[in-house]
Amino acid sequence: MQNKKTLYWRLCCGAMVVLSVLTFTPLVIPAGRYEPMLAGVPLTLWAGIAIAVAMVALTLVGTYVHPDSGE
Amino acid sequence: MTLWLWIIGGLYLAALVYATIHSKQRTQSADDYVLAGSNVGLFLGFLTFSATVFSTFTLMGMPDFFRTHGVGAWIFLAVSDGGMVFLILALGLYLRRRVAEKGFKGMSGLLAECYGQRWGGYVYFAGAFLFLVPYIAIQIRGIGIFLEGAFPGMLPFWGWATLIVVVMLIYSEIGGLKAIIFSDAMQGLLLMTVTWIVALGCVRYFGGVGAMFEQVGQVNEALLSTPGPNGLFSVQFLVASFFAILMYPFTQPQVAVRIVIMKDGASTRRMAVAVGVFAVMLIMATIPIGMYGAVRYADLSVSDFLVNVLMFDQAPIIGAAVAVGLIAAAMSTADSQIFALGAEVRSLISGTERAVMLRTKLAIVFFAVAALVFAVLSNDQLVLLARVSFAGTAMLGPLVLAGILSKTPPGVEVIVVTALGVVVFGISSLGVIPASVGAVRMDLLLFAVLGVFTLGSVLYRNRRA
Repeated sequence: MQNKKTLYWRLCCGAMVVLSVLTFTPLVIPAGRYEPMLAGVPLTLWAGIAIAVAMVALTLVGTYVHPDSGE
Repeated sequence: MTLWLWIIGGLYLAALVYATIHSKQRTQSADDYVLAGSNVGLFLGFLTFSATVFSTFTLMGMPDFFRTHGVGAWIFLAVSDGGMVFLILALGLYLRRRVAEKGFKGMSGLLAECYGQRWGGYVYFAGAFLFLVPYIAIQIRGIGIFLEGAFPGMLPFWGWATLIVVVMLIYSEIGGLKAIIFSDAMQGLLLMTVTWIVALGCVRYFGGVGAMFEQVGQVNEALLSTPGPNGLFSVQFLVASFFAILMYPFTQPQVAVRIVIMKDGASTRRMAVAVGVFAVMLIMATIPIGMYGAVRYADLSVSDFLVNVLMFDQAPIIGAAVAVGLIAAAMSTADSQIFALGAEVRSLISGTERAVMLRTKLAIVFFAVAALVFAVLSNDQLVLLARVSFAGTAMLGPLVLAGILSKTPPGVEVIVVTALGVVVFGISSLGVIPASVGAVRMDLLLFAVLGVFTLGSVLYRNRRA
């Protein structure tokens, strides 16, 4: 059980690193470009909102799989 | 609006007086006074953390940031805060373990213990003092310029600022951290409520979110993408800001103490999630306020824009609630910071409890006066000043993390290099030396150098031990 928790926790950390790196690539912050828009919201903003929400969701998941969560 | 201001302001003041007296009655010892008994639950814990982190600079600075620099402001703060709450989850445990092992009076004292030498604590305290005072000052300045604009002719800016500092000092000195936590909780709820009411009003003005960005694009297309009209949100700026904000819960003492005083590990972890939700919701509400400003008040000064959007364009009861919310926000963040600096002094001095408490209280008054003077002398770029503060204290990040995480006491070289980093960043912020080396920003370069050097030193010493 503890091994599985450690694995899931590491996956959370890995996903966090991927999201963080992704944020600073042209996929999220292309210089001077705001399309494609989503529901009228410019690219950087909707992608940024998705990333921030995903980070908080990962934090929530992390509270359950954190190696210390059973203590 | 004046009637509503008296009613809402009176209610807030009455609640503050009650919280102060209640806290004073329940304070039994110096630890109760400075650390609120270290038994704070999830609800109060997340509200005091959020109110300490999100303050005047969020409700006033972020709308202005969106108005002036565009949607990249979301990446600057919200994404960085998403990373920050995950780091609280990941590293909060280690901080709490160190506290359980070494005891806690303040981060400076804890680091002096972890490093086995007082200089670890002194360097932390010096860095925190240097870069927190400007941050405290912007809270006071922010609310001062807002109130001066909102009530022309009543009091000059410095008069408002002094009044705020005096009220803040009274309840902090009497009620200690418990009074501050209650004031934070009230402010957090008030801040979130009024910000969303104003935000929804701004969206309604445009007729929807899509229409809002369409009109913003017509006014200034550059606001819809990075780096923004003034080129501020470069990749380097955003990356450096990300690291600065990531380190924030461990490098700024008023925030670190809120991780330490949580009653257990489970509450701390849940608090991190709650703060993340609070951050996303609050910063999201500042987007339409900023976009409204970009369309309607693009050419106004910061204070004129804020007074119009937050007060004069609102129903009287909302305008009054915003004014009280802003005063509460400024006070709750500034008092936490000033109080935390006082607690840091306490953690570095020794003597009888009575003598130590007296010096701590005097130190709190000294820091408040220093912040007031800085507030009067600084400029109106609230968010940029806040960012200098984040980045400056982030220079202490490797020092703090090494102290918390290293199995053996980190070496004196980490303390020396951190002190040099703080000095170099300080003089670069003042413009004495360039703000970049070649194409690389100075703060980013210093983060990298301090991080790599500290990691190398810790790995080397742990291997030799």
